[in-house]
Amino acid sequence: MTPPRLTSSRQPLRLLQDRVATGLITAGGVGVLLAILAIGVFLIWETLPLLAIGESLALAKLSPLAWGTLKAALAALLFAIPVALGAAIYSALFMSARLRTRIKPALEMMEAIPGVVVGFIAGLILAPWVERHLASALVLMVWLPLSAGLAGLLWQLAKARLQRRLPLSWAGLWLIPWLALMVVIALWLAPWMEQLWLGGDLRQLLDQRFGMDYATRNALIVGLAMGFAVIPSIYSLAEDALADVPSTLIEGAQALGASRWQALWKVALAAAGPGIFSAVMIGAGRAVGETMIVLMASGNTALFSASPFEGMRSMAAAIAIELPEASPGGQTYHLLIFAALVLFIFTFLVNTLAEVVRQRLRRRYRQMGGTS
Amino acid sequence: MKAGKVNTASRRPRFNWLNDLWPWLCAASVALSLLMLGALLALLLVRGLGHFWPATLEEVTLRSGDTFAGHAVREVELPQQAGDERLYFTGNQDIEGARWRWVTIEEIAERAQPTDLIRLERSPWGDFIGRLSAIEQDGQRWEGDAAWHRLATLLALPASQRQESQLLLTTVDGQTLRQPLASVVSAQAPNAMSWWQKTHVWGDGVWRFLSEGPRAANTDGGVWPAIFGTVLMVILMSVMVTPFGVLAAIYLNEIAHQGRLTRLVRIGVRNLAGVPSIVYGVFGLGVFVYGIGGSLDEWFFSDTLPSPTFGTGGLLWASLTLALLTLPVVIVATEEGLARIPEAQREGAVALGATRLEMLTRIVLPMAAPAMLTGVILAVARAAGEVAPLMLVGVAKLAPQMPIDGEFPYLHLERKFMHLGYHLFDTAFHGEDVQAAIPLVYATALLLVLIVLVLNLTAIFLRHYLRRQRGNEC
Amino acid sequence: MLAPLHSANTAQVPVAHFSSEHSCLSIDHLSLAYAGKAALRDLTLSVPRHRVTAFIGPSGCGKSTLLRAINRLHDLNETVTHSGKITLEGQDIHDPQTNVTELRRRVGMVFQTPNPFPMSIYENVAFGLRLQQRLPKRKRDDIIEWALTSAALWDEVKDRLHRSAWQLSGGQQQRLVIARTLAVQPDVLLLDEPASALDPISTLKIEELIRNLKSELTLVLVTHNMQQAARVSDYTAFLHQGELVEYGPTDQVFTNPRLQHTENYITGRIT
Repeated sequence: MTPPRLTSSRQPLRLLQDRVATGLITAGGVGVLLAILAIGVFLIWETLPLLAIGESLALAKLSPLAWGTLKAALAALLFAIPVALGAAIYSALFMSARLRTRIKPALEMMEAIPGVVVGFIAGLILAPWVERHLASALVLMVWLPLSAGLAGLLWQLAKARLQRRLPLSWAGLWLIPWLALMVVIALWLAPWMEQLWLGGDLRQLLDQRFGMDYATRNALIVGLAMGFAVIPSIYSLAEDALADVPSTLIEGAQALGASRWQALWKVALAAAGPGIFSAVMIGAGRAVGETMIVLMASGNTALFSASPFEGMRSMAAAIAIELPEASPGGQTYHLLIFAALVLFIFTFLVNTLAEVVRQRLRRRYRQMGGTS
Repeated sequence: MKAGKVNTASRRPRFNWLNDLWPWLCAASVALSLLMLGALLALLLVRGLGHFWPATLEEVTLRSGDTFAGHAVREVELPQQAGDERLYFTGNQDIEGARWRWVTIEEIAERAQPTDLIRLERSPWGDFIGRLSAIEQDGQRWEGDAAWHRLATLLALPASQRQESQLLLTTVDGQTLRQPLASVVSAQAPNAMSWWQKTHVWGDGVWRFLSEGPRAANTDGGVWPAIFGTVLMVILMSVMVTPFGVLAAIYLNEIAHQGRLTRLVRIGVRNLAGVPSIVYGVFGLGVFVYGIGGSLDEWFFSDTLPSPTFGTGGLLWASLTLALLTLPVVIVATEEGLARIPEAQREGAVALGATRLEMLTRIVLPMAAPAMLTGVILAVARAAGEVAPLMLVGVAKLAPQMPIDGEFPYLHLERKFMHLGYHLFDTAFHGEDVQAAIPLVYATALLLVLIVLVLNLTAIFLRHYLRRQRGNEC
Repeated sequence: MLAPLHSANTAQVPVAHFSSEHSCLSIDHLSLAYAGKAALRDLTLSVPRHRVTAFIGPSGCGKSTLLRAINRLHDLNETVTHSGKITLEGQDIHDPQTNVTELRRRVGMVFQTPNPFPMSIYENVAFGLRLQQRLPKRKRDDIIEWALTSAALWDEVKDRLHRSAWQLSGGQQQRLVIARTLAVQPDVLLLDEPASALDPISTLKIEELIRNLKSELTLVLVTHNMQQAARVSDYTAFLHQGELVEYGPTDQVFTNPRLQHTENYITGRIT
C-alpha cells in the first residue's frame, strides 16, 4: 500500500516565511542588543557637558559621594566576606549532600529579599536598637565567633555517641539554636559587663573620651544590612567554585599527610582562588550599586569620615534623591549622570573581570579532567 | 563522597586549635546566615500579621491620678538603669491632641481590662478608644448594651444604607464626644471578644488591608492601589520584556555567527544583570521621560504644556525601564534553555525538510518554553522588588487616579501609580506619624517579601522540573 | 543482482560505476573541510537505485561526514567548505535552483542515537507531513499508518499513538524515526549507524527493516560493524582518512578485496 505522492505546493511560501522570520529575528535581536548598549552611550553623551564646568566643582560635589560609596561597600564586604566564604567552605566541603540541596536554595533566597525591606528593617528597627544597645551589639560581634569555637571545643570533648548524633556535616542546622542561645546570653550579660568595665554607657564614653559622634544610622548599620544582602551572591558563586574543585585534589593532599587545614588552605582555596575572587568581585559590584539599603540605613549625610559610627551618602543614594529634583540640562543633572556613569563602568568592569576569571578557571578544571 | 569529610575514628590525640576549630567557624557562618534570614522572616511574619490581631485595651491609672485607655505597644529601657518606659497607643487624637503616650512603669498605679472598652476606627481622626454611652437616631436613644448592639447592626449594613445617627462617646477620663455614624468605619470591643471572634476580626483586618486604599496619610487603611499598581506595572513589563528577551536570545543562540563578537556580546549581556538598577533608572529618566516623553508632549500634547503629560514619570516609562532592567535575566535564562536542547533534535527536524523557522517554532521553542517561563518569572520577581529606578521614573506617594478606569482609553499609561516597595519606603521614612505607620509597613514588607519569594520558588521549582525532565531523556 | 557496468581500475582505486539509469546518487570529486581541516578528499562514487550501499571505515574516516553532505546538513555549520558535485537523480544538490528543504525531504536521514521529538508518536510521524502540505485527517492517518507499518512498528504502537514518543524503547524509537522519515516519502534514506546505540535484538529488527525497505527506495548505510555491512548491504565502500579506498559488490569486497589495505581493515588488523 503506497499512499499518493505528496505535492509540495507550499515550498516557495515556506521559504519566504523562513527568510522573513530570520530577518525579523535578526533585526529584533540586534535592536535589543543595541538598546542595551545605548545605556552606555547615553550616559557618556550626557556627561560630555561636564567638560565645560570646572573640574574642581565636580570634584567637590562628587568626592564625598565616592567616599560614602566606598565606605558603605567596604563595611558591607567586611561583614559579608568572612560569613559568605565560611558558609561556602562549609557547604562545599563538609555539609551532607542532602542538607546541601536544601540549604543552598534557602541561602540563595536571601538574595531575592527586596532591598527596600532590608533597608526598612535596618533603618527603623536595627538602627534604634543598636543605638540603645551599642555595647551589646559590639559584644555580639566578638561573642558569636567565639561561641562557634566553643561549640567545636565542646564537641571535641563530647562522647562519641553525641558526636554521632550531632555530626559536623549537619552542624549548619543544629548550630542555629546554639547561636540563638548564645545571642540571648550575650544580650543578657552585655549591659552588666558594660556597667562593670566601662562604668556606664559606651556611647557616652565614646563621646567624652574620644570625641566620637554617634549617628543612629551609620556605617555599622549599613555594613550589617548590606552585608546581609551581599552574602548570598558571594556565597553562591564561591560555593560553586569550591564544589568544582576536583575532589581527587583534596583527597590526594590528605593522602599525602596534609591536615584538613592545610588541604583547605594550600589545595582547595588555591585551586578555587580565582572563582572566589570573582565571587567577591561580584559581591563588591552589588554593594557599590545597591541603592535602597544605603538610602534607608545610612542617614544620607555627605561626610568625609572614617568613623564606623557616622553616616555617609553614596552615589546611588544621591542619584535616587537628587536626580528627580534636578532640572534636566542643569549642572547637578550632569554631575549625577556622571555618577551613574561611574557606577555603570565600575560594575561593568568588575563583572567582566569576574566572568573572564571564572571562564578561565572552568577551562583549567576541564583540562584537569575533574568535572564534578 | 565529598572530600574532606570528617573521620571521627582517627581523632588526633592532641587537640589542634587551627585544625579542629575552623570547620566550626565555617559551619557557624551557615548557621548565622540561616538565623538572620529566619529572624527577618519571623519578624516580618509576627509583626506584619500580628498587627491585625485585636489588641487588648487597658485602662491605666497613674499615681498622679491621671487615667487613660490604650494598648501597650512596646517597652524601652531608660538610660542610667532608671527602669523601663512603656509606650501606649491611646488614639483620640481629636480630644488629646496626640495618639501616643509614654509612661514609666513606676508611674502606673493600676491596670485594668474592662470589657466595655471599645475601639472605633474613624475617618478622619483615626481611632477612638473609650466607652460608648449611647446612640441617638431620629429622636430614639439606646444606652448601655443596647447601644452596642444597635451600633453592631448599623455597621453590618452597607455604608449607603446606614441611617444618620449620632454616637455619644466617653473617654475613660470622663470627656464626652458626639460622633456622627458616617465617619465610623468599624467598631470592636476586643476585651469582650472570644478567641474565635478575634480570629474573625483578624481575618477581616487582613482582607481590608489587601482590598482597601490608604487612609490618614498612609498610616491607616490598606494597600490595594499599591498592589494594583505593582501588578499592572509588572504585567506591562512582562509583555514588553518577554518577546524582546526571547528574540534576542534566539538571535544570539540560533542565528548569529558564533564568533568572538557573539561571545563578547553574551558576556556583556550577562554583566548587564549586575549593573545597579539605579543606573537603569537614570537611563529611563534621561531617555524615556525627558527624551521621548518630552518630544511626545511637544508633538501631541502641546496644548497642555508646560504641565507635562508623557514628559514626566509614569506607568509606561516605569514598565519600559524595568523591562530594560530585566532583559538580561530573560535573555540569559532563555539562552540556557536553548543551549540545553540537544543538537540531534534540531538536526532531526532539519533532516525532515523543515526550514529554520519551522524547526524553531515547532521543536526548539516548545522545548525551551519552561526555561523562558523561568526567565520571565525571575524577571517579574526582580521587578516586583525593585524600587530605586521607580523613584526616578514614575511612582507616586498617593496616586489620585488609578491607572485603569472607565474613562477612555481605559488604560492610562501616562499616569503615575503606586508601588508596594515605594509605598513601604515612603510610609516608613516620610510619613507624618511613623510610629503609627510602622505596623502597616511591616505588613506591606511581609506582602512584598511573600510575593517575591513565591515567584522565586516557582522559578526554582520550574528549573528543577526542567532538569529532571532532561535527566529522563538521557 | 545489478552488476556494475565496468569495474575499471581508474587511478588505482577499484571503484564500481553505474550507468546513469541505475545510479540514483552520484558523488563527483567531492572534497570537504571543517574549518580548513580536510575531512573528505576528492571522493567519486555512485550509489545504485533500490539497493543498500554501506560505507565502512575506521572512525574519523569521513563516512558520516559524507552522509551529512548528501543531506546538506553541513549548511548548518558555517565553518564547512566543500568542492565537487553531488547529484541526486541527475540534479546538482548544491545548485542555487535546488530547494534545500525539498532536497532534505527527498533524502531522509536517520541518526546514530534515536531522536524522536518530545511529542506523541502520532505527532512525530505527522511532523514532516504537516510541513509539506495540509492534508485531510483521514488521508494523513492513512499515510501515518502506512509509514509505521513500513517501519514494522504499527503493531506495537497502534494502541498508544497519542502517548509520548519518549516512552518507547530505544529500538522502537529508532524505528519511529525511520517511520517519521518514510512518511514524507523520500527517494533516498541515509542511515548513520542506526543500530549502534541498540541492543542485539533491536539491531536485528532494524537490519531486517533495511532489507525490506530496499524495494521502496535507495538506502545508504554507514556502519562500523563489518558483519552488519555484510549482512544487509549489496554494495560496500571502504573509506579511510577521507579517501575512497575500495568500492564494489559486498561479496567481492568482503571475500576478495582487491587491495591489501581493505583486507587489513576487514580482518581487523587495522581499526
